[in-house]
Amino acid sequence: MRREARVILALGRRALSVQFRRAQLLMPTFVLPLMLLAVIASGTSAAQGLRDFPDIESYVAFVIPGTIVQGALLAGLTTGTALAGDIEFGFFDRLLAAPVRRASLVIGRLCGTLGLGLLQAAFFLLVAMPFGASYPGGVSAVVLSVLLAAVTAVGIGAIASAIAIRTGSLSLMQSIFPFVFVLLFTAPAFLPRPLLTPALRDLAAYNPLTYVVEAIRGLLSGDPGLGDLWSGVGAAVGLALAMTALATMALEARLRAT
Amino acid sequence: MRAYKGGVRAVDGLDLEVRDGEIYGFLGPNGAGKTTLVRILTTLLRPTSGSARVAGHDVVKSADAVRRSIGVALQEAAIDPLMTGRELLRMQSALHGLKLAEARERATDLLRRVGLTDAGDRRVGGYSGGMRRRLDLALALVHRPVVLFLDEPTTGLDPTSRSALWREVRALNDEGTTVFLTTQYLEEAEQLADRVGIIARGKLVAEGTPETLKSRVSDPMLHVELSEMGDADRARDALSGLGELEPQKEGAPTRVALRTRAGKAAIAPAVRALDEHSIAVESVEVESPTLDDVFLAVTGSDLEGAGI
Repeated sequence: MRREARVILALGRRALSVQFRRAQLLMPTFVLPLMLLAVIASGTSAAQGLRDFPDIESYVAFVIPGTIVQGALLAGLTTGTALAGDIEFGFFDRLLAAPVRRASLVIGRLCGTLGLGLLQAAFFLLVAMPFGASYPGGVSAVVLSVLLAAVTAVGIGAIASAIAIRTGSLSLMQSIFPFVFVLLFTAPAFLPRPLLTPALRDLAAYNPLTYVVEAIRGLLSGDPGLGDLWSGVGAAVGLALAMTALATMALEARLRAT
Repeated sequence: MRAYKGGVRAVDGLDLEVRDGEIYGFLGPNGAGKTTLVRILTTLLRPTSGSARVAGHDVVKSADAVRRSIGVALQEAAIDPLMTGRELLRMQSALHGLKLAEARERATDLLRRVGLTDAGDRRVGGYSGGMRRRLDLALALVHRPVVLFLDEPTTGLDPTSRSALWREVRALNDEGTTVFLTTQYLEEAEQLADRVGIIARGKLVAEGTPETLKSRVSDPMLHVELSEMGDADRARDALSGLGELEPQKEGAPTRVALRTRAGKAAIAPAVRALDEHSIAVESVEVESPTLDDVFLAVTGSDLEGAGI
């Protein structure tokens, strides 16, 4: 058990440190969400005046959960991209030739995603503060939000890993980038659910990110009416566990097939 | 053993045994099935049928035990260019269950062993091809494997780097490591391997020590260069009892060729026989068959032209 823990830590450390050395992968995960935050905050802040818009101190504080979840999506996607690169360029064979459990190879990489998710969420929350975001929920709410975002990143990373393992194609992983926005905009990331169109509202109910965004919003604002914490925790943890299992199965299927 | 790769029978009915402590050279052109076999033996690929045991463990049923026993340096040194040599060694150590302090010490030792101490903290992306190969070898040695698989370890290397790697492989073998080496270089197989297996189109077509294989093809040739024109006929008479004389070549009136199993040992009797007949000799050379001759004999084409 200790041995596998050492393996997972080593792989997680490698995944995270390499991520910070690959500017073309890292930059979008930090910069894109902030750019979208700037556009949304300046362009649609008038929505705050609409009926059904919750009573909240600042619009930035309302939309920052969307930014955090977007970061989690991108962190997850880069996990899959990096894994596909490892497979395509042969590095993954080095890992497969080592006497470690196949699940540890998946979990180790996702540990790196967890670390990246933690750093990203903390970074976004800090950067938003000078632009008017405040977090009445307090320090514990901030810590819980960061954790929730990181677990969500693990879930998304696991989906991306499963695709990477199945296909082993770096170019395919890069081409699924637009789906990040589909997932983001079918969740109430920047508007409350009642203000979404009926079709989007129906879709949002099936999107696990909906519950994560709302839970973080509820936590940060200190208003549980804006989002149920346990629904968010359930969605994030459920997604992470189910998708990690899926990625592990994908790896086992790949090894059986080759 | 059989393995199909994308509908192609990459390895077909292969049956071979590598002895404990030897260097086994697996020789064949590109696409012959060398890498497929290495991938099967290192548990990266399942054979479609048949079985294989490495260090006493079945590669399918006891894959983990096989992985604990082997070190693998695959073709083209797949090393993350963003990591440093030391980081890679420490990660590899963790994969093989070494504790942190032990991993640190092992990384330092191995960097020294492969001559990368100064480059150990630099990113691998800046390494030369030879440095990458040496690091790849060090990574394969982290857990002191009993069997080392080297898949075309010197492809693309300059002669100096190639020699350095050969020295290291010999040293490892001297320490008791069994080495399974695939190569498309005849010289590499001749220099390193105790025994050689030749694979062509997925089948093992010849196996033995380089000397045995070469002797199966033909006997060595003794080339005698005479000092005087017109001595050739007398020289042929003098040498006729020592082996099989080759027909006299046109345009080489001072040259006599004799095929003899004795090889180098035939030099002294040949010189004595010529001296007894008062025939002056300019030089004597022995030409042995090469593994390329063996390859040509068993596959019908030379190594370069045998790519599938």
